[in-house]
Amino acid sequence: MVHDRLRLLAVTVENHPGVMSRVSGMIRRRGFNIQTITVGPSTVEGRSRMTLTVDAGYAEVDQVAKQLDRLVEVIAVEDITEAPTYSRELLIARLDRVPPTVEQYGARRVGNNLVELTAETDTIEDFIEFLKPFGIQELARTGPVAMRRTAQQ
Amino acid sequence: MILEALEREGVEIIFGYPGGANLPIYQRLPAHPALKHVLVRHEQGAAHMADGYARATGRAGVCMATSGPGALNLVTGLATAFMDSVPLIAITGQVASRTVGSDAFQESDIIGCTQSVTKHNYLVTHADDIPRIMAEAFHIATTGRPGPVLIDVCKDAQQAEGNWEYEACSALPGYRPAYEPDPAMAKRAMELLAQAKRPVILAGHGVILSHAEQELLDVAERSGTPVGTTLLGVGAFPTRHPLALHMTGFMGTGWNIRAVQNADVLLMVGMRVDDRVTAKLSEWAPRAEHFIHVDIDASEMGKNVRPHLEVVGDAKRSLTLMLPHVQPPPSDRGEWLTQIDAWREEHPLKYAQSNGHLQPQDVLLDMYRRCKDEAIVVADVGQNQIWAALWWNYSKPGLFINSGGAGTMGFALPAAIGAKFGRPDKDVWCVAGEGGFVMTAQELSVAVEHQLDVKIVLLNNFSLGMVRQFQDDFYGGVRSQVDLTQMPDFVKLADAYGLPARRVHKLEEIGPAFDEAQSTKGPFLIDFRIDPEANVYPIVPLGKGLNDFWELPNGA
Ligand SMILES: Cc1ncc(C[n+]2csc(CCOP(=O)(O)OP(=O)(O)O)c2C)c(N)n1
Ligand SMILES: [Mg+2]
Repeated sequence: MVHDRLRLLAVTVENHPGVMSRVSGMIRRRGFNIQTITVGPSTVEGRSRMTLTVDAGYAEVDQVAKQLDRLVEVIAVEDITEAPTYSRELLIARLDRVPPTVEQYGARRVGNNLVELTAETDTIEDFIEFLKPFGIQELARTGPVAMRRTAQQ
Repeated sequence: MILEALEREGVEIIFGYPGGANLPIYQRLPAHPALKHVLVRHEQGAAHMADGYARATGRAGVCMATSGPGALNLVTGLATAFMDSVPLIAITGQVASRTVGSDAFQESDIIGCTQSVTKHNYLVTHADDIPRIMAEAFHIATTGRPGPVLIDVCKDAQQAEGNWEYEACSALPGYRPAYEPDPAMAKRAMELLAQAKRPVILAGHGVILSHAEQELLDVAERSGTPVGTTLLGVGAFPTRHPLALHMTGFMGTGWNIRAVQNADVLLMVGMRVDDRVTAKLSEWAPRAEHFIHVDIDASEMGKNVRPHLEVVGDAKRSLTLMLPHVQPPPSDRGEWLTQIDAWREEHPLKYAQSNGHLQPQDVLLDMYRRCKDEAIVVADVGQNQIWAALWWNYSKPGLFINSGGAGTMGFALPAAIGAKFGRPDKDVWCVAGEGGFVMTAQELSVAVEHQLDVKIVLLNNFSLGMVRQFQDDFYGGVRSQVDLTQMPDFVKLADAYGLPARRVHKLEEIGPAFDEAQSTKGPFLIDFRIDPEANVYPIVPLGKGLNDFWELPNGA
């Protein structure tokens, strides 16, 4: 996968049943591919905010946002790939033993053999490499949530 | 409540078929005499009839089916309408809401099945939601880039008496059609056009859908720019106009292809620039310095061809905003138009006249002489479709109806029936190949039952002609599974259905057969036994660029 074909999208959707299937269906049908997807409630009742990382496949990269925007239940799509963004991902891992130095990564020990880290995706990946020698039994990642650093006019 | 909503939206006709999951709707139907219901013979017919009705009238067509197999039978028709941006409302019955998901009798996930062939769809589980959803569905189907909307109504929601407050929908938060283009872009478009040495306008279905034909004509005439159309755009510009390039693309006219391939500025209005327009994309319009794309759907910008200038808006609004900025043609425009005239003479539309067989063009030309610019022609898919597009001089929009994007065989007969219901004042002709015709021939009963004046012109070449031609021309001449010599006797078939028919073998029989068809009230079928080897020309070999188009071989 070529990196510049990856688009980072901030999407506001109606929180209706089936909206996830519409979004993912559109992405599949157009030959794109979802790398990560996160969803949570927004500040507006009945609306959810999604952060998507999508590979545009053979299509022109602007097609990803444009095709999603055609969906009636998609209220707004912003392609924030080129914009300065603040992006964070959460990781939780169960380890054979927790190394004493996890704090160096800004991670926290949470319970006996669990650690958590909130960081940029690159840091999360470095952290996983660091953890490997300590026996990763189980690992869960949210995928990134992101927004523009400054509000768009 | 569904029927009340249809009345409120001004619906006059429903094409439908009953079954277990929509019985509550049918129970109430007789109480709504203002809603005419046409009982089709297969649900696919209902979808195509609603489609033909919508294309002929500009209003949303409505079709109805029961759950499971009934709803699934609509899918081809929905896909056909979706590909061609036709406003359709499909109402399907669904099993009771509490049994959804249990694989109940005749349950199918029609929402999932039709997600990719509808503009939007709704599952209704509560009667209270019906008025709002119906209003939204009509709004979505008929505005912006039109398209089919399906409403799947659970049986219990059909039965319940819900809150009834109907308010037409005019806005939705996630749906904002872009009617109004950026005036600066419209102005810039005309600046680019004014600087062009070899400009060409291409017009698609969007021009017809937005009724922009007059604005198109004005822009073309005032700027001295020749105009071609897509298959679905046929009629958007008068075919016999001196600036007309006729149909573009992979089966377009030679002079159109030459013009497109040599144009320096291409103004594309209300079209998708799909692969049947461009043929091999990398060889399309190689001399173009500026592509200007006008479309109401922003996602069409750069989907296939990256325009230098994007005008996102309704075709009529866009062309209207362009008009004040149109520059008269520069003094050297004559050279470009003369060049196009030379190409027109060099590559005229030709057919194998007088080779002893009846030629489809003989049939169509006779038809055209009789009907001129007044009749609606609904074509099926295959060779018959391209012949009907090229050999009839459409001078107004909306007179040629066909399944362009999906290429759905079996479309013509039901769509012609729908068109006739919508436009009883118009003569409606159905032009079909015998292969496509038998895919939906059961709808003849509808034409007979309602004594509809639909005249059926079968261009019977005893084969899946278009596929045979592809096999002959591009697949090493291996004829595989295209022979249709074993077909019903169509005159007897018509008789069995209860309509008069006639068979025509020879040139001199064409006139009398048409005379009889035209003087007979109600439906009439003519089985034209045409040259089984007749082919469509020009044609671009599959995978090749437009420049490589083939013409009628010499001596054919
Ligand atoms: C439902 C469907 N199946 C298959 C095709 C592929 N196809 C395109 S044209 C064609 C042949 C059509 O034969 P006929 O209806 O006799 O028309 P002709 O080309 O002979 O005029 C076929 C099979 C199609 N377009 N639609
Ligand atoms: Mg045939």
